[in-house]
Amino acid sequence: MDIFSGLLLGLQTASTLTNFTYCFAGVLLGTAVGVLPGLGPIATISMLLPFTFGLPADTALIMLAGIFYGSQYGGSTTAILMNLPGEASSVVTTLDGHAMAKQGKAGRALAAAAIGSFFAGTVGTLFIVIAAPLLAGMALSFGPTEYFSLIVLGLVTSMVLTSGSLLTGFGMVLLGMLLGMVGTDVNSGAARYTFGSPDLMDGLNFVVIATGIFGLGDVLANLENESTRAASIAKVSSLFPTRDDWRRMTGPILRGTGIGVLLGVLPGAGLLLSSFSAYALEKKISNHPDEFGKGAIEGVAAPEAANNAAAQTAFIPMLTLGLPGTATMALMIGALVVQGVQPGPNILVEQPALFWGLVVSMWIGNLLLLILNLPLVGLWAKLISIPYRYLFPLICVFTAIGVYSIRNSAFDVYLMTLFGVLGYVFRKAGAEPAPLILALILGPMAEEYLRRALLISHGNASVFFTSPVSIGTLLIAAVLLVSILLPSFRRVREEGLQEVD
Amino acid sequence: MKLTQDVVQGGLFLAIGVVALLMALDYPLGTPGRMGPGFFPIMISALLALTGIGILLRARLGMSELIRLARSMPLFIVSGAIIAFGFLLDKLGLPLAVLLLCIGAATASVRFEWSWKAVAGAAVFSIVCGILFVTLLGLPIPLVGSWLPALGAP
Repeated sequence: MDIFSGLLLGLQTASTLTNFTYCFAGVLLGTAVGVLPGLGPIATISMLLPFTFGLPADTALIMLAGIFYGSQYGGSTTAILMNLPGEASSVVTTLDGHAMAKQGKAGRALAAAAIGSFFAGTVGTLFIVIAAPLLAGMALSFGPTEYFSLIVLGLVTSMVLTSGSLLTGFGMVLLGMLLGMVGTDVNSGAARYTFGSPDLMDGLNFVVIATGIFGLGDVLANLENESTRAASIAKVSSLFPTRDDWRRMTGPILRGTGIGVLLGVLPGAGLLLSSFSAYALEKKISNHPDEFGKGAIEGVAAPEAANNAAAQTAFIPMLTLGLPGTATMALMIGALVVQGVQPGPNILVEQPALFWGLVVSMWIGNLLLLILNLPLVGLWAKLISIPYRYLFPLICVFTAIGVYSIRNSAFDVYLMTLFGVLGYVFRKAGAEPAPLILALILGPMAEEYLRRALLISHGNASVFFTSPVSIGTLLIAAVLLVSILLPSFRRVREEGLQEVD
Repeated sequence: MKLTQDVVQGGLFLAIGVVALLMALDYPLGTPGRMGPGFFPIMISALLALTGIGILLRARLGMSELIRLARSMPLFIVSGAIIAFGFLLDKLGLPLAVLLLCIGAATASVRFEWSWKAVAGAAVFSIVCGILFVTLLGLPIPLVGSWLPALGAP
């Protein structure tokens, strides 16, 4: 199927009244939950997951994508108005965004973020249209060896790009892989780490663990320091960027989009990397670098554009290879599997309506965000100002119902509580949980591909170094690992990641 | 040894790694060419235990932050409220269980105080949840639980 008939099919799928309505509802709900302080995209998506159960797969995926964009944008709103980044990649936005807000330019900062995101979203979507079929075509020739190496690269990137030490990241990846092994081994049928419990035979549900660690774990950590939670919200004035703003943000948006589109495809933490590099680039080439950090509109527009472009292109490896690059994409895969859809190179051929419908509704979702968010910003500001003591019991209720509804199991609710406590322990111990979440999805895949690769090569591990794609991927992973040990890169990483928590 | 971040991380990784390794030794190992169900778990859990030892050694350098517990009650109250919710959901029905969870979790807040307004708000919220999740979204959770036959459970 060529691109144009694909897009046409996508337009037909996305523009049905049902799908459009759910896209709209997803964007609205995603933003509403995403603006709540402390709820990043992962917690937002997992809390809103039950709303997509019972929908047909394409509608569910379209709504999920809407929720995803909404939560991203909501996160930026909170970052700008309250100086509270919902997730790592909006940390950069707080630097200049909140500085602008303090100067009474919150509206213009929000507009810069929205316009930058929309432009980047459009370019990102176009990039998916062109690149995804190409990559899917290539991926058909990938064997287990190539897949295994790609997974290794993804895990290494996620270790390198989290705050904290490399050793901690490595431990979290291993722990995630170990958790991924719980349940029946697909190949031999042996029950592993089930402790004799029939509830564990199907393995740990990914959504349950993500909700526990990110949703509940966050509540528990916030409650401990409840009295010190800051709650000052900047006032939103004029939303319209001035002529000077337009002039200053055009270049940064274009460059940020370029960076985001390219880095988003990388496995690992492309989102985070892209917003940091876009910010660093603008600061470097700007002729007034001293303004950065004190309310430069370039410092809002560029990382927001990069962030959103990367969020868009992160779908490419997820959909075409079935390999999630970020923890959020891993959650999307978890949600797809609940729907009975297995992402991979065949998705374009077997479910073209789903793929193209998603692509087109991504663009519609971005358009809706632009139209919705600027007029509704007053409402979002009200939502942000809900006191935490009213908010957190509601978060508990939504996470608990969401987890229960996956397979109507009280056991899953207990499991979520356990992982909530564990998430709290991770936070106290300074261990970033994102690599664990990614490894939880990638671990079982790694085992399966390793087993198949070694089966074909009769146990000869040199096969990973003879396939060109595989050796190339592993070399990139090795370079990343070595680079983190170099002092100059190390310093940049520490500067960039110090505020991430 | 002081309770630093490194000690907690290292201890956690080492303990889980060792337990997982001991359990994995019971699974058939297989050969590299035909990996058994034990092959990968043994590899990963051994690496995890080694990582734990590495972090514990690093902890001796005393570089990492001390862990301070400000308030630990919320941890128990909120977890307890959610576990009770899971247990009571099909026995009391969704609205009542939601109401209990709301109030139960809310007591963990430092600013918690009994007020009829907040209780009424929680009650309205539980009814909205019932309508939203059960009536509109069709989740198979009873509105009136099995412990309440007097109310005419459907």
